[in-house]
Amino acid sequence: MAEVEETLKRIQGQKGVQGIIIVNSEGIPIKTTLDYPSTVQYAGLIQQLVMMARSTVREIDPQNDLTFLRVRSKKNEIMIAPDKDYFLIVIQNPSD
Amino acid sequence: STKMYSFSVVTLFCSSFVGSSLQSNMSAIASLTNESEDSSQKLDIPINPPAPCEVLKENDNIEQTVTEEMLDEVAEICLTETDTISLLDIPSSIFVTEDADDAGVIKEKNNQYAELCKNRIGNDNYLEESAQTFSGAPKDKHTQSDKIAKEDKGMIATTWDIYDSFFDQNKSPDNDKDDYTESSVGTSKDQEKSGEKSGSSSSYTVATGNSTWLILSESFRHSLFVMERIVVGKIFQPKLAAYRQLPILKGNVVMLIVEDPDSTAKPGTEEQSEEGEESASSPSLEYLWAFSCELTKGCNITSMAWNKINPNILAVAYGDFDLSNCKPSLICCWSLKNPMWPERVFHCDSWVTSLDFSAINPSQLAVGMYDGTLAIYDVQRQNNNARIADSSKCSERHLHPVWQVNWIKEETLFLREGGAEALISVSADGRITMWSLLNNGLGGRDLMELKSTQNTKKKRKAAGTKTKTECFLSVLTRGLCLDIHPTDSCIYLVGTSEGLIHKCSLSNSQNVLETYQKDLCPVNHIEWSPFSSDVFLSCSSDQIQLWKQDYFTPVFSFTSTQEVVKTIRWSPNWPTIFAAIIGRQLEIWDLDSNILAPTIVHHAAPGVKLMSLLFTTGTDCVFLGDSDGQITVYQLKNLSVGKGEKVKLKANK
Repeated sequence: MAEVEETLKRIQGQKGVQGIIIVNSEGIPIKTTLDYPSTVQYAGLIQQLVMMARSTVREIDPQNDLTFLRVRSKKNEIMIAPDKDYFLIVIQNPSD
Repeated sequence: STKMYSFSVVTLFCSSFVGSSLQSNMSAIASLTNESEDSSQKLDIPINPPAPCEVLKENDNIEQTVTEEMLDEVAEICLTETDTISLLDIPSSIFVTEDADDAGVIKEKNNQYAELCKNRIGNDNYLEESAQTFSGAPKDKHTQSDKIAKEDKGMIATTWDIYDSFFDQNKSPDNDKDDYTESSVGTSKDQEKSGEKSGSSSSYTVATGNSTWLILSESFRHSLFVMERIVVGKIFQPKLAAYRQLPILKGNVVMLIVEDPDSTAKPGTEEQSEEGEESASSPSLEYLWAFSCELTKGCNITSMAWNKINPNILAVAYGDFDLSNCKPSLICCWSLKNPMWPERVFHCDSWVTSLDFSAINPSQLAVGMYDGTLAIYDVQRQNNNARIADSSKCSERHLHPVWQVNWIKEETLFLREGGAEALISVSADGRITMWSLLNNGLGGRDLMELKSTQNTKKKRKAAGTKTKTECFLSVLTRGLCLDIHPTDSCIYLVGTSEGLIHKCSLSNSQNVLETYQKDLCPVNHIEWSPFSSDVFLSCSSDQIQLWKQDYFTPVFSFTSTQEVVKTIRWSPNWPTIFAAIIGRQLEIWDLDSNILAPTIVHHAAPGVKLMSLLFTTGTDCVFLGDSDGQITVYQLKNLSVGKGEKVKLKANK
């Protein structure tokens, strides 16, 4: 447990990391470092995106599965590690 | 009153019209409506319908009004029967005529039946009985049911859904997780509010109680691990790309800080190679990045070793350079993918002096320590169980510091030892010992004892004569370094503290094959050239010497400053380059261009001493460990190298 907390702290302390959100399979944020409204917004939107992405990947080959998703935008990059029980979302701004 | 019909109706039933009999036809039509079923037989009409043009002419005469006299007239109607028109004739299949073939059979059957009927009258088998059923009185009954709720459900049958259902129908559904999620929906709403109040400004937890299993799960840890690497990788992308000699992403990435003012190459211009060719920029070191973390800050680096199979893993030993009391030291395994935190951290009780990874079991790391113990760590395991064997209980253990450990492939002679790899250690107690991993630890066997030659002249001692004195150390001299021949693993070199370099063989434990000596300073490091199999480099307190195998004086001597040469390394990529740590600077020598002075000189930062050095195969980078706990990676730039595979030396005697 402490190891996981430490790793989360390290990621949070890296250059440019704006926030970390952990969402469970229902879309409810479990742990977050952003404010509540943004967290809920991110959680809801990203859940839909991940479902769409996973559906796309599996539609092409049902034995395949989504392992990681990176969305790079002008201002930042959203990195999502999806699983069947949770999503781990990290938002990083690389040019800081 | 009569009804008027249009003539279009009439044409269906009537055929020819004669003008004078118009009225008669009119009344005929009237009777037609009343008895429509007999109409087809009563009308004396031939069936042929009239030509339409005739009818049209007659239509003009309709305009007459019907008077009472006309209606009272008696009209004669003659009805005759038409011939019988046979429309369908199905001959009977039951009633057969006499002439048919099977009439006889049917007749027979008929006779049989007639006989049966006769017999029936008085026969007991045939009785007539009647039966009657009671019909129950009908009754009305009312029932009422709940409204049947209907629900519409829509579904898209995706390919993966079909696949999943097909494969999951054999497995039993996992109900545990369902319970968890159901309960978390119920309780999370309550805890949301409590979470908001009790949370700190930077982070807070929502729905804590039921989600700890999630955070502790294996897959979450793995996701975190990958995420950390990706986040760090983005920060270090240009440096790592330069290390791996890949093109660097431009825009939105951290720009490289160039420390050396002589260097003209910039990261974005990796693809533009004209810059390197035109400008006569001098060879230099370019700073890429440094491995450091708070755990290791301020610690001395004593040894570094690359993993033989995975080129991204580096093992580094940290320990404080305090000869009086051995403080516990750390061994960290760093991965190049994450320069901000080591992948593994092991604690050792004693100061580590030497590390080496095994080539056959790539997760085994051999560690030599200052108190004479040898240990083998399995780096795949987590921190506490990592030490899988050590020599502390072994009778052949060293009692004095182990200065170097090397893995050696024992393909040739000692197959009875089991396993294909053994460990060789050289220690300050003058023994070279070979260790192998047994079931209950390490088992050792002395290979060689380094006999002291201080009291005699500079020639080899005769075999077998060993003066026994009380002090153990006066007989044997301290061994400081060791290197195994790159191609012939039976031969190895040992450097001693008296300045002797012995070439020994695994098979011969009494005598050395040859001895090389230049002066009396202790030999700090020895290394065979990876390109030429009979050339090796040695360094002592103030000089670096290049030796050729059968010549007993060094072929070349290199001196730059009058300070102690701590360590030297050959570059695995170019045959003529080696690096040395001399005093407080790192020197890169290029024998092709200049043998009197180093090609690149790099000074350590003030207050920091340089301790350890490593090259990497495949890239042009050098890793430098210092006394501040940092391993800095430098890229060698603008070296004009690459010619020739072997070092060709002229023996100048």
